[in-house]
Amino acid sequence: MLRKSLTVILASAILLPFLFFTVLSVGQSWFYPSVLPQRFTLANWQQLWSGQSELQFGLVRSLILGLGVAILSTLLGFIISKEIALAKYKNRWLLLAYWPFVLSPVVLAIMVQRFFLLTGMSGELIGVLLGQLILAFPFAVIFFQSFWSREVLQLEQQSQTLGASAVYTLRHVLLPLAKSLLLICFFQTFLISWFEYGLTQFIGLGKVKTLTILVFKYVNEANIFHAALASLLIMLPPALLLWANKKFVFRGI
Amino acid sequence: MLSIQHIHKAFQLHTVLDHVSVEVPEGQVLAVLGRSGCGKTTLLKTLAGLLPPDAGSIKWAGESINEVPPREREMVYLFQEPLLFPHLSVFENIAYGLRVRKTPEAEVQSKVQSMLRELELQEHAQKKPDQLSGGQRQRVAFGRAIIFLPRVLLLDEPFASLDAQTRSAMQKLFLRLARKYGITALFVTHDVKEALLIGDRFAYMAAGKLTLYRSKEAFMDDPATGVQEELAFWNSIEHNISTNDK
Repeated sequence: MLRKSLTVILASAILLPFLFFTVLSVGQSWFYPSVLPQRFTLANWQQLWSGQSELQFGLVRSLILGLGVAILSTLLGFIISKEIALAKYKNRWLLLAYWPFVLSPVVLAIMVQRFFLLTGMSGELIGVLLGQLILAFPFAVIFFQSFWSREVLQLEQQSQTLGASAVYTLRHVLLPLAKSLLLICFFQTFLISWFEYGLTQFIGLGKVKTLTILVFKYVNEANIFHAALASLLIMLPPALLLWANKKFVFRGI
Repeated sequence: MLSIQHIHKAFQLHTVLDHVSVEVPEGQVLAVLGRSGCGKTTLLKTLAGLLPPDAGSIKWAGESINEVPPREREMVYLFQEPLLFPHLSVFENIAYGLRVRKTPEAEVQSKVQSMLRELELQEHAQKKPDQLSGGQRQRVAFGRAIIFLPRVLLLDEPFASLDAQTRSAMQKLFLRLARKYGITALFVTHDVKEALLIGDRFAYMAAGKLTLYRSKEAFMDDPATGVQEELAFWNSIEHNISTNDK
């Protein structure tokens, strides 16, 4: 009974905002004290799919950044965390990985902004991608530390003495063992990029308009219907990823 | 023949292998007795190519293999704990070395089935390692190591974590398979009885130095090995029992 109630509460907490934003995204002219908007239209949605719309570009930009950051940080994090696990001064390197989190992302953005200005990457998608990697990559490195245990490193050595090459060991031993962690890390780093605001705004100079940036822009403009649509789009990929990983996420509720 | 000449290995200022030299003829088992921390594991890992020696040479059939990577040495290192691949079934664990060598599927099937019979693990073929007992896991590790007939087996106290009964059964299994497949092996142990039971040749290791004995008798006579101490203990027990009986 308790389990069922918890599942209902959790499902409602996830689904209700979707319902609310969906209604809002198809609404027009909503004035106090009306409970619902006075008119309903698909104009906002049509605008999204018609091309050349700010929202469509924002969605594509966010997807490129999210996937790019997730792929790069997961792969690099997996490789570098192994090197750190084998390093003589493992804790020193790990301390370095914590550095971006000790500083806040905004302070970090101020510190690295000069580099992006000098290299001409300020205001560019590539600059924002690198900026977001400053957060996502150390996260992945720290995340994979738990994977490179003594046992996993010994399994790798065992595979080598049984005659396997490094590539064979990676494909047939390490990747299958790390599969669930790789998925979770991909998911988490995608979300880091997807919801990132401070670094994106600072390095992107307001020119790289991701969905998160657009939500804030529409809210500032009091454009609640566009803000609702943008919010809905922001919530959609994480919800899909959550659904895909439901057996890990909802396990033990 | 495996020939090790003047292998030296130090970690910072601490010498772990002090000019170790030994020869193991093909098809023979060298039992290396030594206490914890004497350098046995480092010796085996150096031979397997998992640790580079600071000096000295390792030769197989007269040719140096110092620069040969672990995967090409054909020397399987067996860890103290039976390290099975947890995501693979017993069948696939045993087949691992054959699959690495791209052995045809029909041959893989027949060799693995035959090895499973040899290890008395037929009914466990599709189980995962976490469904096996310690002794069964060690048997799978053995089967996986010898199925492709490597040049040398390097065994690092493989039965140390097993209970006395399973340990005895594993020692017999090892001897049977070693004889059947003509296995060349370095068997490291801290158990005097195990060394005497398993070895064709005998060595004692202490503080990174290895002493090779001419015969089993010479090994037993050396007070350093502790064989005499062990015998004296059992004699005293026997004496006490017979005195009490009177």
